[in-house]
Amino acid sequence: MVLRIEIDATRCMGSGNCSFWAPGTFDLDDDGLAFVKDLAGDPEDKIILSGQGCPTQAIAIWRDDERIV
Amino acid sequence: MTSTSQPIAHWDPMEQFAADPRSVRDPHPELARRRREQPVAPRAAWGAAGEVQGYELYRFEDCAAVLRDNETFSSESIRAGMSAVMGPYPLVGMDEPEHRRLRSLVAQAFRHKTLAHFEDDLVVPVVDEMVDEFADRGNAELVRELTYRYPVQVIAVILGLPRDDYEQFHHWASAIISVAARPMEAIRSSSELKQYLVGVLDDRRSHPRDDLVSDLVAADLDGERLGDEEIFSFLRLLLPAGAETTYRATGNLLFGLLNDPVQLDAVRTDRSLLTQAVEEAIRWEPPLLITSRVAVHDAEIAGTEIPAGAQVIPNIGSANRDETRWDHAEEFDLQREAKPVISFGVGPHMCLGMHLARMEMRAAVNRLVDRCPNLRLDPAADDAHIHGETFRSPTQLPVLFDVAA
Ligand code: HEM
Ligand code: SF4
Repeated sequence: MVLRIEIDATRCMGSGNCSFWAPGTFDLDDDGLAFVKDLAGDPEDKIILSGQGCPTQAIAIWRDDERIV
Repeated sequence: MTSTSQPIAHWDPMEQFAADPRSVRDPHPELARRRREQPVAPRAAWGAAGEVQGYELYRFEDCAAVLRDNETFSSESIRAGMSAVMGPYPLVGMDEPEHRRLRSLVAQAFRHKTLAHFEDDLVVPVVDEMVDEFADRGNAELVRELTYRYPVQVIAVILGLPRDDYEQFHHWASAIISVAARPMEAIRSSSELKQYLVGVLDDRRSHPRDDLVSDLVAADLDGERLGDEEIFSFLRLLLPAGAETTYRATGNLLFGLLNDPVQLDAVRTDRSLLTQAVEEAIRWEPPLLITSRVAVHDAEIAGTEIPAGAQVIPNIGSANRDETRWDHAEEFDLQREAKPVISFGVGPHMCLGMHLARMEMRAAVNRLVDRCPNLRLDPAADDAHIHGETFRSPTQLPVLFDVAA
């Protein structure tokens, strides 16, 4: 089951925490803001860890219709 | 050079523990009691205008909520405390929108190169050079011979300073880091360092190179540039923010591993465990235990009224051992389930150097384990322990190892 991930660009402060824990899934663009490059680029637990660890709660994650982060 | 150099060997890292007046050997039992009985504890605190009412927080959720809510809880008090040594723009003590502008500009320079390049070209050579000095001796005292020294040198290398200036740079760094013990010397060193950096900045402006100072000069965000004073404040902030923390954190990681030969062996045979080991070390014993904020309006934390103007002090060391979040939280266990910690803070001020710090810690342990076979704590070690209440790190790390024939 692939997760749905959304990043709120107005909240992201470019910490790179998400791309540290799930480098296959998140990356930073030229402005230093995070984007999703592959919805299933890492094991699910790492993606969830990235979402939970976001310092500004810019990452939202859903499994089916349930918001899990 | 503006001041006389003294040999690095003259420094006593332990002096900094004397600077921590509340210094105790093990604050954790008392922190655990407060998490249970008094999670928001009134205490005296010092603001820009003298003594103010303060509240120290001990539970993970409360600490994280305050650090995230930068609209209610301002970082200005940190700036007030730091300006004498760091100059007017210490990133860590600035509020929005000023903070975001400055952070975006300096972050550009930090992102410029990949950390992989930093690791092999900058960090590993610094560690190796220090290990060279004791590798054929079969013993070492790792605090004085490695952990205390290498993060400062890494910063000197990243700044692109000439080799001949490293020792002087170490000296300024040491004095600035010891600000609580010897404030006048810290202020003097900081102004000497600034004069020195004026020269470095001028040089990079006319001769840009592949280093952090050149990147800061070139940083540009839709036409916004860094002012000179912003650059000087930022560069000086790197010493307490980037060197002292990393030196203590590396010591704590080594202490955890050396005191548990089974976990050290696990890391020795599977280096991929080092990522977890670093995370667990900074959870178990973060190098910096507290930071502070000021309530800009009346607020409430876990049922306690916080009046506007009060200082709020999240205890990161306590938050990281919150038993409602971690099982057997008091133990150093690198197999535990990964969960975000707040050792690097959280919210808009989350540590800018965390990727560098993690990499430096991994690189130091990797090279030590590679080059010092059978690395172990010296059984004759006289009461080596992790010490301190505001900052924590080992008093000493005497080790033995086999010398390659
Ligand atoms: C294990 C090592 C380190 C630890 C535990 C650590 C911890 C922290 C913490 C807790 C904060 C947030 C303070 C607050 O919100 O009040 C912070 C901010 C900061 N750290 Fe680190 N740090 C480490 C290494 C580094 C390194 C290596 C650098 C740079 C070379 C660095 C540069 C900074 C800067 C510039 C800030 C201010 C960020 C901002 O205000 O936006 N740190 N660090
Ligand atoms: S962890 Fe959050 S703030 Fe940091 S880069 Fe990712 S989305 Fe942005």
